[in-house]
This record gives sequence, structure tokens and C-alpha cells, in this order.
Amino acid sequence: MIASIKFLGMQRVLTNTDSIDMPINGNTMVSDALQYVRRQYPTLPLEERMILITVNHEAVSTGRILKDKDTISFLPLIAGG
Amino acid sequence: MKILRQIKYKPVRVVGGYTDRILRIDLGKQEIAIQELPPDFKNKYIGGRGYALKLIWDGTTRETHYDSPENILVMSSGPLGNEPAFPGTGKFIVGTISPLTDTFIDSNIGGHFGPILKRAGFDALAVSGISKKDVVILIDGDAQAISIAAAPVYDRETDDGALSLGERLLKDANGGELSDSLAAVTAGKGACNARFGIVNSLFFDVRRRRLRSKQAGRGGTGTVMRYKGLRGIVARSSLSVVNGNNAIDKEGVRQAGSKLKAVVSKCDTQQLHLSTWGTTGLSEYMDKFHLFPINNYQYGQSPESAKLFAQVFLDKYFSKKIPDGCYYGCNLACAKGSENVELTRGPKAGKVVNIDGPEYETVGAVSCMGIFDPQFVMEYNWYCDEYGIDTISTGVTISFFMECFQRGFLNADDVGYELTFGNIEAADRLLHEIADGRGFGKVVGQGVARGKKWVAQKHASRNGTSGDAVMAELNKFGMEVKGLEFSMYITKESLAQQGGYGFALKGPQHDEAWLIFIDQVHKELPTLEDKANALKWFPLIRTWFNATGLCKLPWIDVRNPEAANTAEPSKNLPTLAYYVAYLNATTGSNKTLQDVLDDSERLYVLQKLINLRHGKGTRASDQIPWRAIGPAYFNEYEARAEYYDEWLEQQLGDNKVPANPEQRHELLMEKRIETYQHLCDIVYEKKGFTSEGIPKHETVEKFGLMDEQAKQLLSQLGVNK
Repeated sequence: MIASIKFLGMQRVLTNTDSIDMPINGNTMVSDALQYVRRQYPTLPLEERMILITVNHEAVSTGRILKDKDTISFLPLIAGG
Repeated sequence: MKILRQIKYKPVRVVGGYTDRILRIDLGKQEIAIQELPPDFKNKYIGGRGYALKLIWDGTTRETHYDSPENILVMSSGPLGNEPAFPGTGKFIVGTISPLTDTFIDSNIGGHFGPILKRAGFDALAVSGISKKDVVILIDGDAQAISIAAAPVYDRETDDGALSLGERLLKDANGGELSDSLAAVTAGKGACNARFGIVNSLFFDVRRRRLRSKQAGRGGTGTVMRYKGLRGIVARSSLSVVNGNNAIDKEGVRQAGSKLKAVVSKCDTQQLHLSTWGTTGLSEYMDKFHLFPINNYQYGQSPESAKLFAQVFLDKYFSKKIPDGCYYGCNLACAKGSENVELTRGPKAGKVVNIDGPEYETVGAVSCMGIFDPQFVMEYNWYCDEYGIDTISTGVTISFFMECFQRGFLNADDVGYELTFGNIEAADRLLHEIADGRGFGKVVGQGVARGKKWVAQKHASRNGTSGDAVMAELNKFGMEVKGLEFSMYITKESLAQQGGYGFALKGPQHDEAWLIFIDQVHKELPTLEDKANALKWFPLIRTWFNATGLCKLPWIDVRNPEAANTAEPSKNLPTLAYYVAYLNATTGSNKTLQDVLDDSERLYVLQKLINLRHGKGTRASDQIPWRAIGPAYFNEYEARAEYYDEWLEQQLGDNKVPANPEQRHELLMEKRIETYQHLCDIVYEKKGFTSEGIPKHETVEKFGLMDEQAKQLLSQLGVNK
């Protein structure tokens, strides 16, 4: 099974890619995806308290179990200027 | 410059953020007066928006319109808007009776004018009357003189342009040199011809070594300025910007500012990157969540949107690695700009210009017209600023007429050409026609609300149908409330933000409430009660920023990591604590956050009273177009049918969802409209209003606003003790 991690905004610039795939199993959680990205891109800032994590456009906690073809994003906390 | 009237004065020193003086100028009588304020005035009305509201409430009547001589154009900073030690100061408010909404409007604006006005001795400037000939006002704190002068005549290009005129005025006032001890506000020729004229705020940027501009864009403040015969105002003060508020507790200010600067420095580079991209970074996130307005808000996402994402502007236009605060000391520094951009369209094609912006709103105004060309965004930005017209209202009004064309309410004979979505040539042509007040631009320059009436009449008479029936159709997609065009967010999928726009006292501008993400994405407002609480709290705290001379972005768009440990992270309370500390250190007060909210609520209720006086304050005025509530037309429903069907199933249960897609669409809209009405009921209750949206007697009394005018008004509206 595969989940896709999508990079937007400055993350795309810093990683130089739109997305990466991550192999998952039935126990893989969002927190594992976060660690996976941190390992791939150690300089990418991803402090949990400063990001909104979404799976398929819905906000989730790090304990959420990932399913096949889920799309994960780590977004800024936008509040509307 | 030919001086028509001048007074000499001794500027009073700012103490604790205030001078307790208002400069009052009557252009009709050519009178200049300095009004000393009683001590409790600042306690009750704070500054900025609060001062503008009180001056308008006392100085105008229900018969006052934007073009009435007694209408007052107020420019006011606030007690906190003059301090480089704290990020995001320097803001001031332009408030008046609007040509679009026919009630109070204000727009906040950055730059140096507000702080210089304060250092020159004034908490606010209030301009009334109408001059027979065009004039400029000079407020010179160094020379200790205030003058009304005949507007100088240069050449047509300079005289017509808000940016060009401002540069000449500033140079003329300073021996031919630009200097950071002077700033100006100007209005261009577009403000003469459109109801959505802006006030430009011009200041010398010592880093870029050029004049820069910010805009009070919403509601037609520039139109009022030009109608008064006022072309520009120049203010000068050479007093130091350091400790500009002359705070009571300077160390307290330093500490609060240091804390906020540390959060901004650490967190912006992990969040929105406003210091790199400005607000253009929002486009991509809005597009991802179907919030980016396309084809007059029909769609929220497009495969072409990436052409307008931030990196495009950074790579092609923005000058890089230059801190860009619109006032000293702001390390968020989001006021991006570009030098040496060659215009390729319009009457100035071939000219090389400097451009300040674009902001997200300007990008969204262009996508709203179905256009995805970054060069057009840059040129549209510059022309709107130079003409002195609002990028938002211009784009939304053009988009409305484009949709009228799409749906057959207009044809090429009406317009003079094919006004289709995505047609750059047509949009560009119409932009210049609006500014010049010629051709179809004369109609479009009146804004969406008046545009709907024009189209309804035209279409009904051509087809022999009822004007009311056509109007009902246009009300579905004419994106205005109270006469003001929507700012650039799609609200269809966030009930809280539908209220954020619908209840906004000035009309649908997001500076009262932007709740889309916490509602739609974070799901932090699951019930109507939760949404209503947010629709009370956020407008109050946001009002406070507009009263004190502060930018909201360092608070709301840079989340303090400590907020994650609080019950309501989206309020960013740890950062708000720095603001309350900054307030207390500056003014010597000892307020809590609740005190701040109470102070704001007084202003909020006063603004509501003005709206009621001008016929824009009841429940009827809070109603929003169908498109703001859901997919107004079947094509919008079809574009996200799966999403909408799922929503409907959640509301009704699987068995009740009709099999026919047209019926599903109809039912969905019925449900959405009904829910919005429930929201109105709950929000009014929370705010202390009647079910008609009118403040109850006790609400007005609670905030000490029950003067004779308020009593009569409530009585006329049938609200008694």
C-alpha cells in the first residue's frame, strides 16, 4: 500500500518536488509519515505545533492510521490576514 | 504652491500614544481648526476606527451621503500605531460615508502617513466640506504650519495619477528630494469616475530608495476624497520615529515587542513565509481547498491556478532579499514589491514602472475574471493603484458583468465587445474605461449593486420580462452585500465564513472575520453555537486592531507554538497577551483581554447604530447571495457533485437523497439557505441583538451609547426598553 505526501508552497521549493510516495502497512500512522519526511528532508521545518496536518483535505491528528492512496499534507496554520 | 489658507500652530507632544488633538478642516469654508479632545474621549473610542465612527455618528445624519458637504473623511491612527519596537505598527484608518454602501466604511492602510500625522500633533484628521477648486492639504509639523493650497497643475500624466501626483507633491514639499520624514495620501482620476476609488498612502522606502505605496482599498474612500476636491495631503515631521508613541513604560514596550518579534522570526519561516512571498503565498492553499475565486466565484480551483502561485511572482518579479515592512521595525515584512517592470498594455504600454504588490487579493481579483497571466496581474495592480481604484471591487464587478454575458443577460451590443471570462483584452480595455469614466466603464464603475439594477432594467425591457424576476436571478451571483463587493474567498463550504461576510458591518470584507479554515478544514466549529461564538469573538478582537493602529498579520497569520497548549489555538492567545502588554505599557492602562474586547464591542455597537441609521443595519442587510451559500447554478454543483452529494447525505440520511441530480442540487440549496437563517438567529442572540439584527436597549446602554440620537433611532425601529 502507498500513501502520497504532497508538498505545497515553500515545502515544494525546498524539497524540489510536488510529492513523494511512502509505503505503508495497516498500522502506519500520520506520525510515521511525519518521521518519514523528516528523514528524507532533515532541513525541512516541520514542528508539529506549527503545522496543520491533513489527510485527503481533512484535518487529522498524528495518531490517524493511514489507508492505501491517502494524501497527506503538512500545511501552515492559515487564519486569513 | 499657491496657499489659500494657513494657520500656524505648536505641535503637542505625543504622550502615551495620544496627542488628544484632532485636526479639522472644512474645505467648503476653507477653515482649519484644532479640536482638543476631552480626557474620556480616548478611553471610550480608542482611536482609528473608533474615532472615525464617533465623528461620523455626531457629525452626519441619515440624510448624509458620500457626496454631501457634511460627510467627513477621517484619517486616524491609534495609540499603538507609531512604534518601531513592536511589529506591525504604522497602520491608520480612512473612514467616511461610502459611495458604495451609503453607510459607514473604513479601510485600514499602512505606510508612514498615520505616524507622521501623529508626530505632527494629531490623533486624527477630519475633512468636511467640498472645495470648489481642487486643493491639497499640507500638515507641516516642522514648520508648525497647516495649509490649504491650490492643487498644483503639472502635466496630464502626473495630474491624473495617484502615484505620480504623490511623488511630485512630496518632492515639491521638500526641495525636490524624497525623504522619510514626509508622507502623502492621494487619490487618482479613477476615483472621480468610479465609486470604488481608493486612498493611496505614499512613503519613501529607505532600503529600496524609492517611493512606495499602500492602499485603503475598500468602499470608495478615494471617491469621497476626490469629490471633496481634495487631491492629496502631505504630512511632515522630523521628530524621531524611535519611541514614537512616547510610551509610559518604555521597557514594557520593548519587552512585548521583543517577544512578538521572536515569534515572528522563528515561526513565519515555518508557516506562511510572508516575509518571502508576501500574501501571494495564499493563492496555492486557497486553490487546494477550493477557495480561490474563479469565474466570479463559480469555482474555487483551476488547473491553471499554478500560473499565479507565489513562486511565479518571486521568480519573475519580486526583488529578493529586501526586508519589506510597510513601517519601521516590522520583521514580518510582507509588503513585497518589484522594480523596473515594463507595461505591455493600456495607455502606458512601454513605460517602465515600480510596482508595490500584488497582494493575494489582487491575484484573486484577476483569477475571478478567469485570467491566469502573472504579467497581467502586475499591470492590473499598477494601473489600479495609479488610477486610484480598488483592485478587489474592480475585479469583482468586471467578473459580475462577465457572468451576465455568460448567462445571456448582456450581449456584445450592450458592452461594445465580447466580455467573456479569461478575455485579457476585454478586461484590460474595461479597466481603462472604468478609470476614464467612458464607454461601458461608466456602468461598471458603479459597482455590483448598482450594476445589477442596470442589467435587470436592460434585460427586462429587451425581453419583455419582469425586472423583479431578472433581479432575483442576478441576486444569486452578484457578489455584494450592503453594496460592497466580496473580498477574494469562496464561502460556499464554510457556514461560519458565510456569516463572517454577511454580518460584517462594512460589507463582505474579511477583516472582521476569516473563519474558513477553522470551520471547514480544522472542524473546530462543529455546531451553530460554536460558529456564533466565533462570529462574536473574532470581529471584536479584529475591530480592536483597527482602532489602535495595528496590522493583524503578526497576530493572526503567525501562529505562536504556545497556542497549541490552549483550548482554542486559533485565537492565538499567547501572542494576544503580548498585544495587551504593549497596550498597557504604552498608555499606562492596566487592561485585560476582556477589557479590550469590551472596548471593541462599544465600537462595534456604534457602527451597527450608524448602519441602522442609514438603512443597512437590519437582518435584511445581512443576507448574502446564493453563490456565497452554495452552488447557485447546476454547473457549479456538477463540478463537485460527489462532494455535494456526500454533504447532502450527511444532512438528510441516505434514504432521503433524491436520485435526480437537479433535485439534489435544489434540495442542497434549500438546506443551505435554511441553515444560514438559523445562524442569523443564534448570532444575533449572542451579540445582544433582536431577531431583526437590531441591538437591544440594554446592549446600547451597556456601552454608554444611549444618546438622544440612539434613543430616537431604536424607537423608530420599534425597539423599546
